[in-house]
Amino acid sequence: MTESFLKRYSFDIVANDFIAAGKGSSTIKNLLKSMGIEANLIRKIAITSYEAEINIVIHSYGGQLHCDLYEDKIVIVSQDTGPGIKDVELALTEGYSTATESVRELGFGAGMGLPNMMKYSDDFEITSSSDGTVIKITILL
Amino acid sequence: MNFSIMFDKDKCKCCTNCIKRCPTQAIRLVDGKAFINNDKCIHCGECIKVCPYNAYTPEPIEWYEEMHFSSYKHKIAISSTPLYGQFPKGTDICKVQNSILKLGFDSVYDASWAAEMVGMAIKRKINEEKIRPFISTNCPAVVRLIKNRYPSLMDHLILIKEPMVIAAMLAREKAKKKLDLKDDEIGVFYLSPCPAKLLAVTDPVGDYKPYVDWVIPLNTIYGELYRELVKGDNGLCSHPSLNGTKWAVSGGQSESAGLTNYIAVNGMENIIQILDEVENGNLTNVDYVETLACVQGCVGGTFNVINPFIAQSNINYILGNTKDESIIEELDEFDEMYESGVFKFSLKPEENQGKFNMKEAIIKREKIKEIYDKLPGLDCGSCGAPTCYAHAEDIYNNESTLYNCVVLRANKITEEGR
Ligand code: SF4
Ligand code: SF4
Ligand code: SF4
Repeated sequence: MTESFLKRYSFDIVANDFIAAGKGSSTIKNLLKSMGIEANLIRKIAITSYEAEINIVIHSYGGQLHCDLYEDKIVIVSQDTGPGIKDVELALTEGYSTATESVRELGFGAGMGLPNMMKYSDDFEITSSSDGTVIKITILL
Repeated sequence: MNFSIMFDKDKCKCCTNCIKRCPTQAIRLVDGKAFINNDKCIHCGECIKVCPYNAYTPEPIEWYEEMHFSSYKHKIAISSTPLYGQFPKGTDICKVQNSILKLGFDSVYDASWAAEMVGMAIKRKINEEKIRPFISTNCPAVVRLIKNRYPSLMDHLILIKEPMVIAAMLAREKAKKKLDLKDDEIGVFYLSPCPAKLLAVTDPVGDYKPYVDWVIPLNTIYGELYRELVKGDNGLCSHPSLNGTKWAVSGGQSESAGLTNYIAVNGMENIIQILDEVENGNLTNVDYVETLACVQGCVGGTFNVINPFIAQSNINYILGNTKDESIIEELDEFDEMYESGVFKFSLKPEENQGKFNMKEAIIKREKIKEIYDKLPGLDCGSCGAPTCYAHAEDIYNNESTLYNCVVLRANKITEEGR
């Protein structure tokens, strides 16, 4: 981590728990709001961290959502265990979704997850293997 | 800032109902009495509704004196759309209008006419612009909630003036032309279902003129209206627009505008949940989110007299059993009016808040967290703040002290006693 790193807030995300789904990202959002972060950044963080959290709930065996605060940026790190994304390139295409029918019926998994995260971040990194996926979403202050 | 909510200290029993229901955490109990922070208050009227001791009341405004002793040559009453739901089912709407005139007005302008045109303007703007979802702006309490808690959603606001303002503008123009009067010779009085409209007149969120001179809380004249109604004289009637009257009830606004892909939410807690969804990017496939602070919409406004569900049923009865005989004189000019921009407005610019410093923000947050960790986490409200976290913030801001927490105090006494 670079020198300007200041603080990490972390939240555990449980796989398949659709009742708690959204609470982690919502806590991050409200925390940053109360800290006085600018409105248009809040929007980016709300959308990206929500998508990241829902992805963990739907597609992984569970993981964490971290909110790393730097002097000049905010980085949302989503970290989960297995099964990983087989074809990352494809998953980054708008409209592509591996969500099952039952999940889609809940209104999730329209295939906008990754593309949306990319769209609303200033820098976007993703690494995935069968052990899990790590996504880093950078939003500059 | 102008106030529209009065507080009677003698009636307050410090029950904590209001501090917990206030959507912006604007109320604190200090020295055993409630205290409203006017910078945070969005005039939703929730505190008036929930106080079991009626400690909150609408401000007694001098409209009565204005009406009877002022120099206005022509006094116009604007009737709000939920008004017709406030009388027994089947009440003749023409009689209601006549009762309003009997109070001393020279003419009645029905807000439903303006509502119908505002609905058309909403539809036009949705068709013209790409923003999704648009969020309604006719409930001033919601606009203020968004400004206060969801500033990131400000660019979703549709920014079309509310029917009250358009009605007042049109009524004024009409009177000016017809009677050859000057602006200050005309008095426009709005019969309001809520305190939010009062603030919308004295301190509008947008850069527009409200055109209304006085806002009359409906409950303060209800008795008089009712008594006149019972006398039952008939008179001339200018029929309300049924389509516009739909605005009284949640969802009616979207319906009157002919929208099909919309969500209608009412009640502050529900609105907060939906705004969270919008903020998370979830409702981009919806055209319009109609948001009304009161339960069931404006029929649930604090200054109304009749239970919102009964009022809604009364309005539905009118919609189902009345022939639409309304004549909206200005309807032909709608296109022209829309093009000229009279329906649109922009928000007043925000004051600059200075440069954000992450380091300082974290230090502040950690200090508050440190205080918060000492508190029991019961969110009981007994300290006068709505939650333990709010109390921690108050302590940080030197507005309260740790041992205002009754639980901590009790624990301390027990310990000292040992
Ligand atoms: S009117 Fe609404 S915002 Fe204002 S103090 Fe009462 S509950 Fe709070
Ligand atoms: S919903 Fe209607 S009555 Fe209630 S505060 Fe909003 S505008 Fe006023
Ligand atoms: S537990 Fe203490 S700090 Fe928390 S709300 Fe109750 S009195 Fe206030």
